[in-house]
Amino acid sequence: MSKIAIVYSFHTQNTKKAAEMVVKKMGKNHVEKLNVEDTSAEEFMQFDTYILGSATWFEGELPNHWDEFLPSIEERDFSGKNVALFGLADQVNYPDFFGDAIGRLAEFFQVRGAKIIGHYPNKDYSFTESFALRGDKFVGVILDYENQADMAEKRIEEWVKILDKEL
Amino acid sequence: MIKTEVKYGIKTTDKATLEKWYRLMTLGRALDDRAPNYLKQAIGWSYHAPYAGHDGIQLAIGQAFDKNTDHLFPYYRDMLTAISAGLTAEEIILNGISKATDLASAGRHMSNHFAKPEWNIHNVSSATGNHTLHAVGVGRAMSRYNHKGVAISSQGESSVSEGYVYEAINGASREKLPVIFVFQDNGYGISVPKSDQTANAKVADNFRGFKNLEFIYCNGKDVFDSMNAMETAKKYVIENQIPVIVHANCIRIHSHSNSDRHELYRDDYELNYVKEYDPLGKFRRMLLRYERFTEAELLAIEQEIKAVVKDAHKKALAAPDPDPKSIFDFVIPEAIKVEKYPDGIHQLTGEKKKLIEGLNETLKAEFRHNPDTYIWGQDMANKDKGGIFNVSKGMQQEFGVERVFNAPIAEDFILGTANGMSRFNDKIRIVVEGAEFADYFWPAMEQYIDSSHDYWRSNGAFTPNVTIRLASGGYIGGGLYHSQNIEGSLASIPGVRIVYPSFADDAAGLLRSAMRSKGMTLFLEPKALYNDPIAATPIPDDFMVPFGKARVRRTGKDLTIVTYGNTTHMSLEVAEKMQKELGISVEVIDIRSLVPLDEESILKSVKKTGKVLVVHEDKVFGGFGGEIASIITEKAFEFLDAPVKRVGSTYTPVGFNRILEKAILPNADKIFDVAVKLYQY
Ligand SMILES: Cc1cc2nc3c(=O)[nH]c(=O)nc-3n(C[C@H](O)[C@H](O)[C@H](O)COP(=O)(O)O)c2cc1C
Ligand SMILES: Cc1ncc(C[n+]2csc(CCOP(=O)(O)OP(=O)(O)O)c2C)c(N)n1
Repeated sequence: MSKIAIVYSFHTQNTKKAAEMVVKKMGKNHVEKLNVEDTSAEEFMQFDTYILGSATWFEGELPNHWDEFLPSIEERDFSGKNVALFGLADQVNYPDFFGDAIGRLAEFFQVRGAKIIGHYPNKDYSFTESFALRGDKFVGVILDYENQADMAEKRIEEWVKILDKEL
Repeated sequence: MIKTEVKYGIKTTDKATLEKWYRLMTLGRALDDRAPNYLKQAIGWSYHAPYAGHDGIQLAIGQAFDKNTDHLFPYYRDMLTAISAGLTAEEIILNGISKATDLASAGRHMSNHFAKPEWNIHNVSSATGNHTLHAVGVGRAMSRYNHKGVAISSQGESSVSEGYVYEAINGASREKLPVIFVFQDNGYGISVPKSDQTANAKVADNFRGFKNLEFIYCNGKDVFDSMNAMETAKKYVIENQIPVIVHANCIRIHSHSNSDRHELYRDDYELNYVKEYDPLGKFRRMLLRYERFTEAELLAIEQEIKAVVKDAHKKALAAPDPDPKSIFDFVIPEAIKVEKYPDGIHQLTGEKKKLIEGLNETLKAEFRHNPDTYIWGQDMANKDKGGIFNVSKGMQQEFGVERVFNAPIAEDFILGTANGMSRFNDKIRIVVEGAEFADYFWPAMEQYIDSSHDYWRSNGAFTPNVTIRLASGGYIGGGLYHSQNIEGSLASIPGVRIVYPSFADDAAGLLRSAMRSKGMTLFLEPKALYNDPIAATPIPDDFMVPFGKARVRRTGKDLTIVTYGNTTHMSLEVAEKMQKELGISVEVIDIRSLVPLDEESILKSVKKTGKVLVVHEDKVFGGFGGEIASIITEKAFEFLDAPVKRVGSTYTPVGFNRILEKAILPNADKIFDVAVKLYQY
């Protein structure tokens, strides 16, 4: 069984809420929580599978905590490792950049050899553009607490099932 | 979209560079945070637009700028841009508290408008985005003179809504000019969210359909992304000679300025996250996290900067204040001295030339005389056509398309890029056909006003050397939009010479003076007289008329008519008729130049005749004649034997049907009636 880390910023609101829900739904799988604000490359590299959580900020940007951490692993090789992504986003106020951040994270890890797992169908969302979209699926699950809060738990459940299958 | 070259990163950038950046950013924020104190203590800096939240992109603009090759047009929020480009703390404070030694304007222009003209960091208007046209103009000069450099224009995202910004970018794209347009996007124009400005979230996207234009999007809160973006942009512009838009995502941490209270329209969540996203905080965290600096090293830099600011503060406070007696300095630059024709009068006889020939030949002669002359406008040149009235006929054939060329139908662009091109060096002399008809000059008013300010606002450091030619006036059955006289409205704006000749020789002589002088001249041409034999005169090849010299076109002793433009000829006709039919001797003075005005010649005549009639084609109400009449009553009241009378247009637009036109515009009969009554008073 591979070592799994869920990585996000502990100082967030919705990302943290979602991360806790993901851990709960992962049930028996042991998932270690890492705070992206203060983890190191060495600590990060010990895992085989990552569940990365990120909101999108400022029209398509990664939040600072990710932006500040990524340079520490930019020369690392992620071949043979899995990356699953959950994004926080708002399709009403930011329809042109819906969940872009996880698209950017996916790209970062993919070019460094990682396999993106847990693609999630683009279903029941309404937006104009998203950097997270690959064909008819997102690179991970996108949760919109501003507009579809009541769908979040179900989406996480579905997504965790997909992950379970792929792992 | 251009791919940003990743040159800088937290791990790869050398320590000295990181230290330089950290110093600049720390200094900038120390001043940014301190500026409001000057207002609280009633020292000055009453306008301060804090830049906090724009730190990355502003550092990068300043670093990209090279004072030896580039031109920079910062806006009022660009304090760190200015510091990063090389301004010292003392120079910033001198501007903030409007001292006489402020480099931008000696305290004349509003605070927070930073500049250093000798480095081509330009003093810009407060009219948001108006300098985009100047950047394009200077870009045109760089292109014409094969200069390797860039013009960098910087502004907020909301001001991109201004029509002239679209004109500027259209021109840069059409002419392929080396300009970087930076949009610092903080989401607001004062309290107005950017969604009220335009449909696209990123206003740069509005320009996606423009040809020869590239785009870079960056995180303006991030030092590295911004540095990479600006370096890539500059390199791209120089290599490819086309403009680039850099759209930088920023945040505004504070209120728009000290007169705004952002708590009234931003909630706590937002006020909190903009603080958390402080770009300086991010840069500092990264310097520590990646062990490029120790906490102690950073604290030492911060201490040092405190001392720098304290010292600058002391020096700036001790600097002299502007002298109230200096207010008349640098309104209009000194015109060229006219040695051979000090009164603007010649004795040449012989072959008469039409007014249009006088203009055409003078333009050509001046273009031969000075290789740094340019002319553009609408309908300027296409094969045998040269100018809407053919005034510039043959010029493109002789001087080439680089110097004589058409402009898009965008009057503000025509004038704004003339102002900008002038900034490249002061040898350049530009003539623009400001509009096809004076009637269409109104869209250029924004640039006209701004250009009128430049010399005074920069405390003499910069003046646009531009002659604005406009075909003016009626009597051609042209109706509302081909008959206007605009000098009455424009004469109230200081900073521009205004001339309105009525004879071919004066037109030639004034045009030559305008094209050889520094500063702006509004050159109004009575288009009805272009080909009229009545205005034809002999013209010496080197004729020049000094500004502010009236010409007595007929001497007399019973009554004075003060006039200019089309009505000079009517007044002369009336004078002749009064002499012939009534034995009344009328003096006719053609002022030729409204600004500066030859008061002396007018008053001299009034003292002789005691009766004055002021005649012009423009409306009586609000027309320039009101000014002339007031000067006469103020300065020569005791010499007057009758009230000063005026003849001009009715206070209506000019009608198209000739019956209406005749009822509205002045003519010889109307002048005759008033003149006779005035004589009999
Ligand atoms: C200033 C700002 C910019 C945002 N930009 C985007 C965006 O570009 N795309 C998007 O999908 N959501 C955007 N959002 C929505 C957030 O991603 C969403 O509110 C998310 O739930 C925040 O998660 P957090 O509480 O963990 O930070 C933005 C929110 C804010 C406040
Ligand atoms: C032509 C003009 N119109 C209006 C104003 C008033 N005004 C000053 S700043 C400003 C907002 C500009 O917003 P933006 O361009 O986004 O720049 P920011 O101040 O946000 O940096 C406005 C409307 C002005 N100075 N000039």
